[in-house]
Amino acid sequence: MPPESSKIKNIKPNTLDRFREVNDRFPKTAEILEHKRQGKKVFGWLCTYVPEEIIHAAGGLPVRITGYPQEMELEDGNAYLYINNCSFSRSCLQMGIRGEYDYLDGMVAGSTCDGARRLFDLWQYYIKTPFSHIITVPRKYTQSAHDLYYQQVSQFKQHLEEHLGIQISDEELLHSIEVYNESRALLKSLYELRKLGEPPITGAETMEVLNASFRMPKELFNQWLKSLLNELAESGNHHSGRARLMVVGSVMNNPEFIKSIEAQGGLVVTDELCTSTRYWSDPVVIDGDIAPLQAISRRYLNNFPCARMVPSDERFNRILDLARNFKVDGVISQNIRYCVPYAHDLPLLTKRLKAQGIPTLALDVEYGTSGSGQIQTRVQAFLEMIEAKRK
Amino acid sequence: MTTQAKGSDKINGIIQACRVITKMNQARPDAPKSETLYYQMIANYYNRLLDAKEEGKFIAAHTVFFPAEILYAMDITPMHTETTTWMMALFMSEQAELLSAGAELGLAPEICSPHRGLAGAFALGALPRPDVMLWSNLICDNTAKSGELIMEINKCPGFYLDHPFQNSEAEKKYLIGELKDMIHFLEEKSGHKMDWDKLAEIVARMDHQIELFREICELRKAVPSPFRTQSYLQLLTADYLCPGQPEAIEYLETLRDELADMVRQGKGAVSPERFRLMTLFIPPMYLTGFLEKVGQEYGAVSVVEPLFTRWGEGRLDPSQPLESVAKKADMIPERRSMYGPLTESALQDILDCVEQYKIDGAIYWAFIGCRHTCATIKIFKDILNEVDVPMLTVDCDIVDPTINSKEEVRGKLEQFFEMLEDR
Repeated sequence: MPPESSKIKNIKPNTLDRFREVNDRFPKTAEILEHKRQGKKVFGWLCTYVPEEIIHAAGGLPVRITGYPQEMELEDGNAYLYINNCSFSRSCLQMGIRGEYDYLDGMVAGSTCDGARRLFDLWQYYIKTPFSHIITVPRKYTQSAHDLYYQQVSQFKQHLEEHLGIQISDEELLHSIEVYNESRALLKSLYELRKLGEPPITGAETMEVLNASFRMPKELFNQWLKSLLNELAESGNHHSGRARLMVVGSVMNNPEFIKSIEAQGGLVVTDELCTSTRYWSDPVVIDGDIAPLQAISRRYLNNFPCARMVPSDERFNRILDLARNFKVDGVISQNIRYCVPYAHDLPLLTKRLKAQGIPTLALDVEYGTSGSGQIQTRVQAFLEMIEAKRK
Repeated sequence: MTTQAKGSDKINGIIQACRVITKMNQARPDAPKSETLYYQMIANYYNRLLDAKEEGKFIAAHTVFFPAEILYAMDITPMHTETTTWMMALFMSEQAELLSAGAELGLAPEICSPHRGLAGAFALGALPRPDVMLWSNLICDNTAKSGELIMEINKCPGFYLDHPFQNSEAEKKYLIGELKDMIHFLEEKSGHKMDWDKLAEIVARMDHQIELFREICELRKAVPSPFRTQSYLQLLTADYLCPGQPEAIEYLETLRDELADMVRQGKGAVSPERFRLMTLFIPPMYLTGFLEKVGQEYGAVSVVEPLFTRWGEGRLDPSQPLESVAKKADMIPERRSMYGPLTESALQDILDCVEQYKIDGAIYWAFIGCRHTCATIKIFKDILNEVDVPMLTVDCDIVDPTINSKEEVRGKLEQFFEMLEDR
């Protein structure tokens, strides 16, 4: 069935192609290889509770560990992590084992979920990246949880300093905060455009931008994103759809998945994913006498929460806010099989969305899925249900 | 009986089952006294729960690896959610109903079956309604995420106890702070005050209980080994239900003495003992009797379970009761290998077991719902391979009988034993 929506009416912004090129070449992007060529270090990070600013302030390039850009046979992933760990972890580990991240000088993780912590364990044992560190991340927001997380972040900074034989100054941290906050502000501007009745950028295109943000120096990313925002303002692009949708759930960074939803006529206007809104949503706030490292620590623990955090209503309330602000008609929850935190939250979240009159489509997927025939059928039915409800 | 029955009926079912087993044991002249004490301990636990329900006493439901010592010290009746659900289901063969009820709540099949069934049991009213729900992230994401739905089903308040991932001084301090916050919460909700003297007594007994666990482990090093393969599940239950309780001590002391007698007499749990096994994780619980029989047939006995019976070093100090409760959380075997970073020392412990217990082979029960444990299969297999110990991996579900057939499991075990024989 031909889609009614997601029409690109005018020109394609050039910068989008540049972002796509970064993603197409990942993990060996020109930008990462150039950083290495200059004799600088590259550190892989897993999960949004790892403060990138510290790596950046140390002169390193933080690169987010992600898996294959499409659903793959995961022979090594299955053999090493067993079949019942989430396909995100298995996909990442397989890439590591096959040497696709062989340029990494370090690997940093948080104790965020079972998949992440075991991926870190096996990475450390079998891949043996020169530097490795795991941060204990509390699941609460209490003062003592903040104290512990700050201690953990400080310990990470110290470990990195010892490894590199350097001292990271407050000035360097402040500079990194500025760079990262600029990035967050620019991404917020991009998302503001998606609040429009007919946004100039699709959900799939936005995902391309976000993917590139993990895979290149932030300074360069910020320059490109400014260009993209200018191009979008001048492009006259307008995308509309049968329904305005939000995507929530497990880690997902495949633009093809969003594209498959948008090809059905759904317009993805926002999301609650650790690869997108939850990645950029909250800035590091320097107020009063707060030291930069404390400000970083506070931001990362208080950030738009992952399903791992307790109470879950912190996450649910922010999802409901997003739904209101982006005028969402329906929510697509995509859960990677064996991603337990999101699976447990689903009944509770669905109930809360329903109370607000927002229907949820729950999809069980594998990491990297581009949206199979069955998913397309279910999305189609979901859109029809939303349209029928509107009448 | 169906799970639509009232929670008290279901609990009665557990008590009745325990009584039947006790009577059967009493009729057998060779039955060890420890068996009788074990089932009496369980029956008493559930009788107290029933009484509490009838008398309107404060009941706290809690997940596995939760410090129930604190509840006993506050005169709050504990209800161990996983143990209660599955004891009930297994004694009455009602696993399917509970799992189906969990699915109806919207819980995905990839969620660990004990936790799906647990939520299902509460939704069906098969468990008594608790006054509070207590849960923690020991041992996985499932435990960390199971509490809120149960709170919502039971319309009761709850407290989540956050365990740190590692064990630095800052993390120990954090856990003690969490325990203090939980006590404050319980005092507020129950109106009961923490009795610190009572907690100190419980901690003293818990320290003794851990020593008994260690002594039992030591006795199992004997050739032949005196302890039956599946009995280690009883050791876990004693700690889960009755930590630092006199009846657990009585059971464990009796068991220790019985095992010591067997060692003195050179008697083994299987005769002749041919294969000394290391068990990794938990076999399907509905097959325990069957597995015991297969082990007897082949002269195979599990002598150590590094993930469940190897307690960490150290002693508990009754003069510092809260610190000791926190310390115990760091010493429990499951915490050291299934939660927290997989350190060199955790791996070395597996190798130490091979030498100390004279292991011929290992069986890894790969419970499909336990992701973080299965992630260690490859590493364990590799390190065991280095010391020439073969490992059999059996995919299974510990409570769902639709996953494995007896024939399939028997076939795998037989092949494994034959391979051990050929070596």
